[in-house]
Amino acid sequence: MNETFPTAAEARLGGGVAANACAIKLQVFEGPLDLLLHLIRSNEVDVTDLPIAEIARQYGEYVSLMHELDLDVAGEYLLMAATLAWIKSRMLLPPSAESEDSELDPRAELVARLLEYQRFKEVAEQLGDRTLEGRDVFAAQAPGAEPSPDEERPLAVSLVALLDAFRRVLEKAGAKGRHEVTGELVSVRERMRVVMDMLGRFESIEFERIFELELGRPLTRPLLIATFLGVLELVRLAAVRVYQGLDEAGVPRGTIRLRRAEGPSADDWSAAVAEVT
Amino acid sequence: MDRDAQKRIVEALVLGAPEPVSAAKLAEVVPGLEADEAAALVTELGREYEEQGRAFEIWEVAGGYQLRTRPEYASYLRLLHRERPLRLSRAALETLAVVAYRQPVTRAEVEAVRGVEVDAVIRSLLERQLVRVAGHREVPGRPMLYATTKRFLEVFGLGELEDLPTLREMEQLLPPALPETAAPPPPLGASADPADAADEPGAEPAPELH
Repeated sequence: MNETFPTAAEARLGGGVAANACAIKLQVFEGPLDLLLHLIRSNEVDVTDLPIAEIARQYGEYVSLMHELDLDVAGEYLLMAATLAWIKSRMLLPPSAESEDSELDPRAELVARLLEYQRFKEVAEQLGDRTLEGRDVFAAQAPGAEPSPDEERPLAVSLVALLDAFRRVLEKAGAKGRHEVTGELVSVRERMRVVMDMLGRFESIEFERIFELELGRPLTRPLLIATFLGVLELVRLAAVRVYQGLDEAGVPRGTIRLRRAEGPSADDWSAAVAEVT
Repeated sequence: MDRDAQKRIVEALVLGAPEPVSAAKLAEVVPGLEADEAAALVTELGREYEEQGRAFEIWEVAGGYQLRTRPEYASYLRLLHRERPLRLSRAALETLAVVAYRQPVTRAEVEAVRGVEVDAVIRSLLERQLVRVAGHREVPGRPMLYATTKRFLEVFGLGELEDLPTLREMEQLLPPALPETAAPPPPLGASADPADAADEPGAEPAPELH
């Protein structure tokens, strides 16, 4: 099977290597610009004087090879192939005196993009070569034991974590919720009141406990979802703040807690709740 | 309080702080300590660790001081932290680089530089708190703007954004011997023809071609 890829591109990929090895090698390109830079380097040509026909040909070979290998060729590669073909055709046209941009080398824009990309590729490599905290060195950091309101983070940052936590709640309640047939009416507004009541009694509550604290009521899916929506609504109204502790790397992690927000917005919450439709 | 006692408190604070602690913060906490003296004490502590051959050292990152293990122990610490190692792909590093130098920047602007979609990469960088949303650009569609975080400075061991390696100038990337030398600037007061500027190719600073 080593001989089944007779293309020049395959040869450059390391000769008679197996198809899957090619696939791995191809994936090292971070997109069409990266592939073009590679071709420019391996052909030892001047980036500002691209032999566009040859580069376009080799580029095309790579893209076909990716197809042959059943790789999912991203649209960006095809777009670039079209751009190269366009430039190539423009290069063949005799410079016309009437054309307004006759002075402009049709390769100019592509060259500018390549150089721009190369700058960032270089600094990206330098960044990766730095001594990274969490990879090469590790910080001695006391965990922010009990997060204080000062360390509260905006909800947007941890929305994913919040949804994850809610999914765990739903999973835990799964069996109970699945066969619920009676149409119990649950209102988000009522759930908001319950949550605010709880937060009036405790300084802060674990997110997942919000769904457990009410005794004597079955934890149905509608109830859980209404409670979750209620929490989101209270956050939107700035009546409740949701936050999470930081792990040793300074990343929010662990228990998500709810706390009643301070200030007038919290006092006005009941008025605001009443307005929720 | 004598200087040695102050130094030990500074040591305790740098060790016990949940994030890099600044000289100003140290001065605020330690009785009778000025910020520049705090910085001097930190330097002394660093020298002590060096002399004693400790496994850790003091870094100045994200505007503060932090105790970190020395790089030669990385392989052991990686075994300890096996469950969530820091891995930054080339895609992540390139995206971070564009965000870092161009911030605040939209996703489309990052994609224009890299020539690939960056949606998933940005989401992962947001999750890892290396990038944050820094508002919206007030253009149709109000695209989100992205910027780097304090955590970014910490991970890459940067004191501040200005410590980033310099981005090479476009000219430096061109072959050394250009056939044309740049035209000398017109003498002051000379009438610059605005039509010339209008003829420049495109709005982007394209490199000179020959």
